[in-house]
Amino acid sequence: MPEIEFNVDNIAKLAMLDLTDEQRVLFTEQLPSIMAYVSKLHEVDTSEISSSAYLTDLVNIVQADEVLPSSEELRADLIKAFPCEKGDALEVPAIFE
Amino acid sequence: MRLRCQQFLNNFMQYKTAIGIRRAIEAKEITAIEVLEHYLEVIKNKDNEIGAFLEVFENEAREQANKIDNMVATGQSLPRMAGVPIAIKDNMLYQGKVASAGSKMLEKYVATYDSTVVDRLKKAGAVIIGRTNMDEFAMGSSTETSFWQKTKNPVDVTKTPGGSSGGSAAAVAAGMVPVSLGSDTGGSIRQPAALCGVVGMKPSYGRVSRYGLIALGSSLDQIGPFATTPQDAALVLEVIEGLDVHDATSVELTETTASELIEENFNGMKFGVPKEYFVDEMDSEVKKVIEEAINQIKENGGTIKEVSLPLTEYALSAYYIIQPAEASSNLGRFDGMRYGTRALSDNLKESYLMARGEGFGNEVKRRIMMGAYVLSAGYYDAYYKKALQIRQMIANDFKRVFEEVDVIISPTSPCVAWGLGDKFDDPIAMYLADIFTVSANIAGIPGISVPCGTVHGLPVGLQFLAGAFKDGKILRVAAAFEQLKVNNS
Repeated sequence: MPEIEFNVDNIAKLAMLDLTDEQRVLFTEQLPSIMAYVSKLHEVDTSEISSSAYLTDLVNIVQADEVLPSSEELRADLIKAFPCEKGDALEVPAIFE
Repeated sequence: MRLRCQQFLNNFMQYKTAIGIRRAIEAKEITAIEVLEHYLEVIKNKDNEIGAFLEVFENEAREQANKIDNMVATGQSLPRMAGVPIAIKDNMLYQGKVASAGSKMLEKYVATYDSTVVDRLKKAGAVIIGRTNMDEFAMGSSTETSFWQKTKNPVDVTKTPGGSSGGSAAAVAAGMVPVSLGSDTGGSIRQPAALCGVVGMKPSYGRVSRYGLIALGSSLDQIGPFATTPQDAALVLEVIEGLDVHDATSVELTETTASELIEENFNGMKFGVPKEYFVDEMDSEVKKVIEEAINQIKENGGTIKEVSLPLTEYALSAYYIIQPAEASSNLGRFDGMRYGTRALSDNLKESYLMARGEGFGNEVKRRIMMGAYVLSAGYYDAYYKKALQIRQMIANDFKRVFEEVDVIISPTSPCVAWGLGDKFDDPIAMYLADIFTVSANIAGIPGISVPCGTVHGLPVGLQFLAGAFKDGKILRVAAAFEQLKVNNS
C-alpha cells in the first residue's frame, strides 16, 4: 500500500479548482482521512484479477458520423446558452499567448 | 368543477396510484386536469415546508393534461401513463427548462433537448409537474449539498429525506405527486426511498438510457422510479426502459417489466440473506424490523438461505474510488467555457480555476479532488486499478450467489432518517449511509427498496437485489411483500 501523501494545493491545481482558505484547511484535514478509509481495499489480494471499467458485455458500439439537420430555433437556443458569444460564435480566451 | 374536485378529494385514496389515476381517467371518473389541479394544490400547501421542488411546470403540465382530456373526449386510445403527474430530478433535461443538478454552476443552464426519459414520459402521456431538489451533482446522501435549499423528510420535518434524490422521494412521500424519477449511482434512489417510506428502484445497468442525464459516475448511474407501490414503479420503468441509440450503454431488452404480470406470492422462490449485511454498525432496532420481514417472507412460502458476499466491507471503498474518479472526469466539462458563468479573466487557466472554484460546493470539490488523486500517475494502479479489480470480484460473488438463490434480501440503509445537519460535517459518516446500496451499482444489478416497518415512527426500507436484467423478479417479490403487509394490516 502506498503511503498517502496528500498535498491539497497540488491536487487542487491538478483538478483545476480554486479553493478558499477555509476549504484548504477543511480538505487538508478531511481528504487524507477519507483516503486512509478507502485504503482498506489494499487488504484484498487481487493479483489474479483482471480489471475493466465496464461490466456489461457491450463492445465497440459505433455509428456513422452523420450531419443531421437542426432547426434555426435550436441553433438560437444553443447560442443563447453560451456564456460569451461574438456574433454566432462561442468566444473563448486565447489558448496561446 | 369545484364540486367534482371535492368528490375527487373524498375519493382520492382510490386514485392515489399512477395505475389508479390512469384507469379513472380512461373510465371518465375524473379528468386529467382535475388530477393535476389536485396535485398542484397539495404542492402549494405542503412544499413551503418540505422543499422538494425547485420548480413547478404549471403551464406545460396543464397543456399536457388538457391534451389527454381531449384524447378522452374524442375517444382516442390512451397511452400508458395518460394523465399521470410525475416529477423529475433536477439532473434530467427537459427542453426549455433549467436543469441545474442542484448546483450554482448550472444556475442558468436551460436544456436545449429532452432527455430520453423525459421524451418517453411525454409520449406515454405523463404530466411532468416539476423538477426536484437533489444533492449537488448527485453527490451526497441527504440532499443537503444542494446549492438551492434543504429538503425535509415528510414523515418528520426535523429529519433528512436521504439523498441524493431526496426531493423526488419527499415529493412522493408527501403525496405531492404519485410517482417521480430519481437517479441512483450508489443508492441515491433506494436510500431516500427507505428513509421517506416509499418504493424506490434502481434498474439494471443498461436498462434505462442516460441520454440527457447530467452524468456523475458513468459506469454506475441509472435512472429509476419512486412510487407508492411496486406496480406503479413497474409501470414507470416500462415506459422509460429499453434500447436508445443515444446511449451506447443501453441494452435491447429480451423481456419487459410487464406490470400486469406481477404475481403476488413467494412460492418456490429462494431468498439469500448475506451474513455480511448484518454488521455490528447496523442499528439494532432496524435489524429487528428487517429480521421480522424476512420471517414473514419465510412464513409465506419463501425459502430463506444464508449466503456469503465476503467482499461487502470493501465495496464502499471501491465505490468511493471509482465514483469520484468518474465524477472528476465527467465534471471536467464544467469550465465556464460552454455552460454556466464565465469567470472574468483574460487568462484561460485562471478562468477555469475561478469558474470551477466559484461554481462548485464543498462536496463536489472534495470528490473531484479525490478523483484527480486516485487517477494521478503515482496512485492510479494502487487505487483506481485496484478498485476496478475488487469491483470484478464483487460482481463475480453476486453471480455465484445468484446461482443458488433468486433474490437477495438486505436492509436498504443501516439506520433510519437522521436529524438535518447531523452528518453534514463528517464525510465518512455520510458515505457509510450507502454501505448496503453501493454493491448493486458496483455489480450493475437491479435493486428495489420497499417500506417494511418503522423504528420510533421513522420508516425502515427492505432491499431486494437480483441478477442483472432480472428487474421483473424483484418487482414481483416487492409486490408480493406489499400484499403481505396489506393482508396483515
